[in-house]
Amino acid sequence: MIRRAFQRWLLNRLPATDTTLLTQRNIYIVPTKAGLAFALTLLLMLVAAINYQLNLGYVLTFLLAGAGGVSMHLTHGTLRALTLHLRPVTPVFAGEPAALDIVISNPGRERHALAVHFHDRELAGHSFAWSDVPAQGQAGVRVTLTPRTRGWQEVPLLEVETVFPFGLFKAWTVWRPATRVLAWPRLEPAPPALPRTSVAPGEQTLPQHEAGHELDGVRSYRRGDSLRQVVWKKVAKSGQLVSRETRAAGTRELWLDWASTAAPDTEHRLSRLAAWVQAAAHGGLMYGLRLPGGELAPAQGEAHRRAALDALATFR
Amino acid sequence: MTRLSLALQRLPRDARDTLFQLCVIGWTLLPHLSHLPAWCGLLAAAMLGWRGRLALQNGALPGRWLVAALLALAVVLTLWSEKTLLGKEAGVTMLVVLMTLKTLELRARRDALVVFFLGFFLVLTNFLYSQSLPVALSMLLSVWGLLTALVLAHMPVGRPPLRRAGGLAARAALLGAPLMVLLFLLFPRLGPLWGVPGDAAGRTGLSGSLRLGGVAEVANDDSIALRVRFAGPAPAPEAMYFRGPVLGSFDGLDWTTLRPTVPPYARLRAELRLQGEPLRYQMTIEPSRLPLLPLLEMTPDRAGAAPHIAGWQAVQRSDLQWQLDRPLTERVRLQAAAWPHYRQGPLQRQPGLRDWVTLPPGYNPRTLQWAAELQAAHPGADGRALAQLLMQHIHDGSYTYTLEPGTYGRDAIDEFWFDRKLGFCEHFAAAFVVIMRAMDVPARIVTGYQGSDPAPVNGDWIVRQSNAHAWAEYWQPGAGWQRADPTAAVAPDRIRRGRSLAPTRGFVAGAINDVSPALAARMREFWESLNNRWNQSVLNYSRGQQFDLLRQLGVHSPSWQDLATLLIGLLSTLSLAGVVWAWWDRRRQDPWQRLQRRVQQRLAALGVQVQAHDPPRRRADHVRAQLGERGRALAQTLDALDRQRYAQPGRHGPSPRWWRAFVLATRAAAPASRQSAP
Repeated sequence: MIRRAFQRWLLNRLPATDTTLLTQRNIYIVPTKAGLAFALTLLLMLVAAINYQLNLGYVLTFLLAGAGGVSMHLTHGTLRALTLHLRPVTPVFAGEPAALDIVISNPGRERHALAVHFHDRELAGHSFAWSDVPAQGQAGVRVTLTPRTRGWQEVPLLEVETVFPFGLFKAWTVWRPATRVLAWPRLEPAPPALPRTSVAPGEQTLPQHEAGHELDGVRSYRRGDSLRQVVWKKVAKSGQLVSRETRAAGTRELWLDWASTAAPDTEHRLSRLAAWVQAAAHGGLMYGLRLPGGELAPAQGEAHRRAALDALATFR
Repeated sequence: MTRLSLALQRLPRDARDTLFQLCVIGWTLLPHLSHLPAWCGLLAAAMLGWRGRLALQNGALPGRWLVAALLALAVVLTLWSEKTLLGKEAGVTMLVVLMTLKTLELRARRDALVVFFLGFFLVLTNFLYSQSLPVALSMLLSVWGLLTALVLAHMPVGRPPLRRAGGLAARAALLGAPLMVLLFLLFPRLGPLWGVPGDAAGRTGLSGSLRLGGVAEVANDDSIALRVRFAGPAPAPEAMYFRGPVLGSFDGLDWTTLRPTVPPYARLRAELRLQGEPLRYQMTIEPSRLPLLPLLEMTPDRAGAAPHIAGWQAVQRSDLQWQLDRPLTERVRLQAAAWPHYRQGPLQRQPGLRDWVTLPPGYNPRTLQWAAELQAAHPGADGRALAQLLMQHIHDGSYTYTLEPGTYGRDAIDEFWFDRKLGFCEHFAAAFVVIMRAMDVPARIVTGYQGSDPAPVNGDWIVRQSNAHAWAEYWQPGAGWQRADPTAAVAPDRIRRGRSLAPTRGFVAGAINDVSPALAARMREFWESLNNRWNQSVLNYSRGQQFDLLRQLGVHSPSWQDLATLLIGLLSTLSLAGVVWAWWDRRRQDPWQRLQRRVQQRLAALGVQVQAHDPPRRRADHVRAQLGERGRALAQTLDALDRQRYAQPGRHGPSPRWWRAFVLATRAAAPASRQSAP
């Protein structure tokens, strides 16, 4: 109880930083269970050497003791002087794994068997990455974090540990990255169809029937075409995906409106809006986002999609 | 060879690691095979082979029940062959079985660690049987292999080459070597914590008791028992008798030290009468694990002659054997003096002598009958005359000296004296004593060493375990105890050369001996001197040597507390040095960063301002821009630095030559800058 409180206090003191240099100050080292067993073995061997008056027994025991003692320094040295850096994290939808890319830079000799995982035992079980770092080089390690809810998330405490070379000592460091992970709202699994498009104000309009149907030609399916553009009748006949060529995509706009989502609560609404944003972006439509307290003008493209999802993620 | 390495490379990593580990375990087990029961060796080989096959075929490990059944079988077999589960032999047998069985359970990392720790223990058990140089070297290899496997087990990424893991293990061991030397030199040597195990290495030719057949094994043991160096001229090897346990009590099977049955006042005293000049000598005795000193006959208990060993108490018994207060567990060196001419024992018949004529009833009836007939045939003959008759009988009686007389039954003396007539020193000595006693002449067996190598090595006469000998003493009125060596009557060579039959040579040694005896002798000599150094500096390093070391360091009367103090002090100093190093290491900069800073300072002195984070390439651009033509050489050196920095990954720092070139270039650029400054 007290120990846990002390640990919490200690960990809360850790400054948040995206780049950390491992020094004597932030590397901890303790003997492992195997280390204790090794010590016990050595003790038994020493007793045997004394009782049978075996000088070579002494030599062997002390040789192993020396190597074991040196291994403490080697274990500590495996972490010492490394620089850890967390790359900016790409946002993900809540419930999907976010990749934390950690770059370990090594100014010294080759390092082996570094394990990167979350400090929290429950999270550690999910993602546990091993890496060697070449001499004077860098290595990338990826651990994944799955945000449960939308919004800005702190990266949990990370731990880099090693028991190299003999497993007798465990050296580790605890690191609080400053970077936060943005989680977009969880996508609604089966969202209702997108709302109807409306004509962009000020744009030249075409008659409804001309805009969507007879006048347009057909072309083969391209990535990004929405499913509603697909001419299913022709697909059924020819077996090839065929899309309507429509100019409406460029000129017509879609408003994804908070008010038009018939969902029970805020989170469901946001989930639906996120799914719509994905669908609209996928369909290559012009879409805008209207939320209580702000709106995003209709546009297209990856940056727009991100802006929309970010707005949904941080909605309060 | 290449095909083998190719095949190794093609193996999956797990299989390769497992095979390597099995090889190391096999290598560690190898020396044990000679003294393990045959079933154990076979079982171990089968297990390792089976596990290797599983590794190669990536097969499933056997279930727990099968392993448990095998273990139970091994326990039963151990009980059957060793009659116990305790003690050295049974312990080693079980350890080997456990070790090989555990390889069948190598699943998790914890199993692997158990195997490693058992392995280290197994290495230690090899030293119970031999601490010779070859064993030490082969076990060093084992330890290296085990450490390498341990490192491999902790390298989870990729497929690290064996050589890399081996290098890392060797590095750890070498870095730990100073600590090992320190501990070895200074760790206080204690006596055994509990009673010296009786099953410790059977390394002596003497045992303190005798049963016919006991000396046969050691007669072939060519290891050194003691070395003796004489201040004056050395006696002939055949005259060198080193007195060990005197055996006077015979229960029909075993000869043991006599416990007097007469009251204390009637017991025999030594009554040693020395004649002539003493022979001063220095002796180095190997650990025999017996509480006695085999000293040259006759070393008396008198000032200036008696041995004195620091930390040991030696007393001379009434049978003139030198007794120690505890078993000799370390190599000791002593100075003493012996009188080759002496008389001992009472001159008149005393009640105490009755103990020395008792024989167990019901044993060896034919011998007793024969003795009675001999005495009847020579009425009035005294001890000396009867001894003469016996020696004559042995000499003429077609007795054969052999190291392999075979086993004898209950009435061993009868069998030897009348039927088989095959035996070595102890058969002859025992028969002699029994017959003398049967004729009412007090007699006893003396065990010890006799003779030495024919020539001294560096002044030391070497006495080997194969020089172990048994002879007899009988009591002659008016003269006391007289030595009689019946073996001399049948095999005078054994006595004269001081050597028993040559031990069976190994194949190679035999071949060399056939081709060139001189070369063989020289090799043998070299090997012995090497072995001698090994024995003296490593195996026999004990408390005495530790105290010598302390004396050299200026401690006047060393004790083990001094050792402990020194050891703890040195270890504390070492850890303090570690703390200082860590402090220094924290402030130490990356060599490249340090260089960057120094270059920046030099350039600033030339008037070229660069940023700390500018790479050398950009600094070169600055130099070109600001210094123009005269900075060209400087810019080129900076470009060269850039290439060194980024073109060769893995370089720890710039080459020292570069720094010299750089300094030269700054000097070349400097005067020009001074000219242009005003």
